[in-house]
Amino acid sequence: MVEIQDVSFAYEKEQGTLSHIDLQVGQGECVLLCGESGCGKTTVTKLVNGLIPHFVEGGALTGMVSVNGMEVADTEMYSLAEQVGSVFQNPKSQFFNIDSDSEITFGLENAGVAPEKIKERLEATVSALKIGPLLGRNIFSMSGGEKQSLAFASVYAMNPSVFVLDEPTANLDAEAIDILRRQIMQIKKEGRTVIVAEHRLYFLMDLIDRAVFLQDGKIIRIFSGDEFRGIPEQQRIRMGLRSFTDPVMELPCARPPGTKDGLSVENLSCAFDRQTVFEGISFSAIPGEVLGIVGYNGAGKTTLTRCLCGLLKEEGGTVRLDGKTLNRKQRNRACSLVMQDVNHQLFSDSIWDECEMSMPEGRAEEIEKILKAFDLLEFKERHPMALSGGQKQRLAVATAILSGKRLLVFDEPTSGLDYRHMLGVGRMIRELAGHGCIVLVVSHDREFMEKTCDRIFEMDGRRDGNG
Amino acid sequence: MGVSCKKHMLKFDPRTELLFLVLANVVAFTQHSLWVEITWVVLLLLLIIACGCTKAAGRLAFAFGLCLFLQYYVFSNGPKILASSFTILVSYARKVFPCLIVGTLILQKTSVRELMAALRRCHIPQGLIIPLSVTIRYFPALKEEVGYIRDAMKLRDIHGIQKMECLLVPVMISATTTAEELSAAAVTRGIENPVHKTSMVEMKFGVQDFLCLAVGVVFCFISVTAG
Repeated sequence: MVEIQDVSFAYEKEQGTLSHIDLQVGQGECVLLCGESGCGKTTVTKLVNGLIPHFVEGGALTGMVSVNGMEVADTEMYSLAEQVGSVFQNPKSQFFNIDSDSEITFGLENAGVAPEKIKERLEATVSALKIGPLLGRNIFSMSGGEKQSLAFASVYAMNPSVFVLDEPTANLDAEAIDILRRQIMQIKKEGRTVIVAEHRLYFLMDLIDRAVFLQDGKIIRIFSGDEFRGIPEQQRIRMGLRSFTDPVMELPCARPPGTKDGLSVENLSCAFDRQTVFEGISFSAIPGEVLGIVGYNGAGKTTLTRCLCGLLKEEGGTVRLDGKTLNRKQRNRACSLVMQDVNHQLFSDSIWDECEMSMPEGRAEEIEKILKAFDLLEFKERHPMALSGGQKQRLAVATAILSGKRLLVFDEPTSGLDYRHMLGVGRMIRELAGHGCIVLVVSHDREFMEKTCDRIFEMDGRRDGNG
Repeated sequence: MGVSCKKHMLKFDPRTELLFLVLANVVAFTQHSLWVEITWVVLLLLLIIACGCTKAAGRLAFAFGLCLFLQYYVFSNGPKILASSFTILVSYARKVFPCLIVGTLILQKTSVRELMAALRRCHIPQGLIIPLSVTIRYFPALKEEVGYIRDAMKLRDIHGIQKMECLLVPVMISATTTAEELSAAAVTRGIENPVHKTSMVEMKFGVQDFLCLAVGVVFCFISVTAG
């Protein structure tokens, strides 16, 4: 039983507030927290798992939160940890160990459980969640989906009665989302409470008992499961929520290779660490077109983008731009990659410098024009890291345009975005294509691809490859 | 991470490995005889080969050989300036080899969990063990990060000294967010629990531990007295 009584909270350093939140979640209930980015759903999860007030510094908290009769504010984090298990958004930063077995038992070892008991729990976890293949693995060799599955398992092993999931699918592909769905189904069957904050909703639709819709830190309405499922399409869009059904993509396949105008990939093969990742890939993409690249984790999407951008040498085949064969160096100059984590590609101490760096002999008017087009001009003196995620992404694109790149590759541009921001990224990509760029988008987000791409290239390479 | 070949290899208690690190240090900095040093290095190399670190052993052996070659052939026959400027560097580098070898063994064949459990058994305070384990865990993550950042730099055509500066900013930024997220995950899994922590790792001194430690201690004794 989780009780939140008239809770208001304001962060000291970050933006975001909660005001007068009242919510009771019964044992065994599965409750969805939904709403646009910044609506406060993550903050609500932090009230339950105790990160507020124990971990988040400062901030003004009023009201009362209790879990199974324990008042969260007066309970030590380690006692709460035995009742409440948390799975977070980023699969990369939830691990303390380098091997998977250690990770699953980590929580139990912290609680001082006897070794025989730990072994029992480990076996129970493996059989309940069907994660046998994850045992005995190096975590750094795992895909994002596998890591998230492992994070779920290591929480399950501690046997908590309440699960708090904070955007667990932000970095997952369809297959991994399905595994997570089955895991949630399992814990629900066992009578555990689930509180999940999410943007992607389709996989949760038949699991939730209630849905809490938040806006600007307030609960606007609490829907019953059936009420929520019955929300008409128009209203859903007005509420800024993602699709309720698993989107089907009905896009035509990529053009055959050999175009004289644009990018032509002919019989391309790549290897990583002397292992073939994919072989004989061929397609074309013409200027003005947005080509989506899909495929399971491990099909070689990352390797393909790295090869197209000239970060990796091909094993065989050719890449042509406007009919002219490009070697690795030339591809490097012609292509740009917008990474999933754009923090990796912004280096300067102001937005203006960032642009000048891409265009050393550039004229100021030109930079100004581009910054204006990307809605960044008013921030030109700011540090890139002080921008929001969407602004950083636009800055990365702006620098690519300034350095005269024609082929733009986006790697998972919508991970963790709500409906409105997803549409925003889609609009930007369409505009880039409208200006004659060739745009490739690698993504798991089918709702986004359906709205943004013209054509689809599916990679079905060897499943055991690396990334 | 080959599970199948694990059985055929020698496996030590992590505490033995830590003790070996101490012994390696003692021997390295007390003895002065070249032959004692070479024997010690060869013994340790054989030890880690038996544990399965064949490749690393090969590399270390080559590097050690190179040091000897430089010091006893190049420096004594080559120009004076070479000898006088590099002798100190090379002879100190040579001294570090025993520690390097044992360090390699610990890093490659001991999981963080085993190491933590061993340190706990030795009554090292928790306040030291947790930061240490998180640091070890952070290195592979850092390597991943640096890989992405270097890709980004290649695409932005950043070269020379600028590279260093450009590497640092994103690494620092991601390090702070990673640290924040990592500690949030840690506290929700009860890392602060004051109870005596347990471990599923069974730790027992085996015959191999006693045998190797005995040889190590005897060797250590000889090198201290004879050196």
